[in-house]
Amino acid sequence: MGVALRGAGPILETRGATARFGAFTAVDGASYRLEEGETAGIIGPNGAGKSTFFNLITGLVLPAAGSIHLAGADVTRLPPHRRVKSGLVRTFQLVSVFDALPVLDNLTLAVIHADPSLASGPGFLLGSSRRGGLEEAGVAALDRVGLSAKANWLTSELSYGDKRKLEIGIALALRPRVLLLDEPFAGLSDHEIAEVLRLVKAIQGSLSMVIIEHKISHLLDMVSRLSVMHEGKIIAEGKPATVLEDPTVRRVYWGGGQGRGLVEARGTRKAEA
Amino acid sequence: MTGFLNSTAAARLRRFDLPILATLFLLLAWAISIQRATDFIIFCVFVLAYDLLYGHMGRLSFGHMLYLGTGAYAAALTAEHVSANPFVALLAALLAGGVVGLILSPITVRTTGACFALINLALNQVGYFLVLVALARWTGGEDGLAVTFSKVGPFDVGDKVMMFALALACLVGVVWLMRRLTDSPFGILLRSIKQNESRVRFLGYDVVRAKTLAFVLSTSLSAFAGGLSILNYAYVTPSFIDTGRNVEVIFASLIGGAGSVYGAVAGGVAYMLISNFLPNYVQRWEMFLGFALLLLIFKFRAGIWGSLVARFGPRRAEGT
Ligand SMILES: Nc1ncnc2c1ncn2[C@@H]1O[C@H](COP(=O)(O)OP(=O)(O)O)[C@@H](O)[C@H]1O
Ligand SMILES: [Mg+2]
Repeated sequence: MGVALRGAGPILETRGATARFGAFTAVDGASYRLEEGETAGIIGPNGAGKSTFFNLITGLVLPAAGSIHLAGADVTRLPPHRRVKSGLVRTFQLVSVFDALPVLDNLTLAVIHADPSLASGPGFLLGSSRRGGLEEAGVAALDRVGLSAKANWLTSELSYGDKRKLEIGIALALRPRVLLLDEPFAGLSDHEIAEVLRLVKAIQGSLSMVIIEHKISHLLDMVSRLSVMHEGKIIAEGKPATVLEDPTVRRVYWGGGQGRGLVEARGTRKAEA
Repeated sequence: MTGFLNSTAAARLRRFDLPILATLFLLLAWAISIQRATDFIIFCVFVLAYDLLYGHMGRLSFGHMLYLGTGAYAAALTAEHVSANPFVALLAALLAGGVVGLILSPITVRTTGACFALINLALNQVGYFLVLVALARWTGGEDGLAVTFSKVGPFDVGDKVMMFALALACLVGVVWLMRRLTDSPFGILLRSIKQNESRVRFLGYDVVRAKTLAFVLSTSLSAFAGGLSILNYAYVTPSFIDTGRNVEVIFASLIGGAGSVYGAVAGGVAYMLISNFLPNYVQRWEMFLGFALLLLIFKFRAGIWGSLVARFGPRRAEGT
């Protein structure tokens, strides 16, 4: 079944994926599908298991049960770098870039990964990392996220928002087929949020994307499908508007009060009894 | 504030780094004696090999004398049993370091921090025991081995000027190699691993492979330095593989400023100057070395080279 679906089936699929830390189950039998070219959202309160779900998909955490499939191929046991080779790329909730390197050097490995002819064999080992084509590719990747003017800065000197853009720039330079963004708007100013939002909208459709968000507001007009995680389970899924009307979802957010900010952001609180 | 050198001047100086380096060592030979300068040079090769792992990839080894010693014994045993040609011995040293590194890499490369340091130390201890006791029939145990090298054409390692020239040529070659290695995408890969190994995997790179390569390069070049020492001394003793001497290369690396090719050379020379000349003036000189190290750790984290660059080097674009 799996092999026959290649190309036609979902680009990313998890079947009953489960993550355990000791006796604690952080992700509990999550079955999820992402179609080619789709932009989907995952929301849920803090600690729901969203980031751990990404960790499962990308291989940072090995599943206690279930399987993960990329373009029809079972990647459950593949190490992270092999999944990246198959086009699965992610960012981290806490921005993760290389602070001690110049900004441009953060892109070098990514652009080479996408186009090995830029530095293959001896060129990778002994050729300058600042030579013609390689440097140009790096600067072009920086340009995409509006950071080319800061190419020679030390990364630690960037603002948090710029680091976030840099991390997205690195992810795009890897030429992903599937891009997983973990709370790309968290910790940014309104202005920076608008910038990142514009960036994400610009790439939408050219690749398949899953975006985790804590607040729904940024996602609503962007995603075709919204999934809600709660205590490790995907409790609801569908068109954003439908999902928000779902009684279980409303109980989770409005009953517990954890998701209050999320709902307020949409101004749908009027429905509360 | 701008540095003493702007970046184009620094880049121009860098183009001539190898002749400048060679000239400085010629001056050193003139100042302190040619045999001592040869010693210094060989030690610098070792520091460079060490710093590839420590400075660039962030792996502190407490057992690198094992790899230096591997090269030393490989060179001596080759001269004794295979060929008295010094270049053959040197090649044997390099290869032996590579083979030992490759065999041990599955054990060492997966570890980090204290574990990496101590595993290398433990392996070094095993190597020391092998040389001293288990393989004493071949290594000469505590007494070591005296070796004689043949002349290759007019070239004679017994001639101190020729030996100096050979060592200097090797150092220049190794500096060139290390500079290329660390300026390359591979260098970026090592520095990325140093900073956040797990993150590098999400850029699609096999970090185990990269770390293995760096480790084997480091053990090979350490062994190469060991082989050069044997060419220079014409004898080998267990002191070449003595775990107690690991501190020398660690200190040198720290003094110079870990993670910089020129820093490694500066650290190698500085350490050798201290350990060669301080004992003439001060009795327990090691204590002063200890104080110097404390000072380095707390006051001059960047080492000699790092401090020089900070003081006189080019600055990056200011403002904004
Ligand atoms: N490596 C880990 N070890 C132990 N517990 C973890 C680990 N990673 C995540 N968890 C736990 O799993 C739960 C889900 O965390 P996470 O996936 O980060 O939630 P979310 O991203 O939805 O806020 C939390 O209770 C968290 O403490
Ligand atoms: Mg999270």
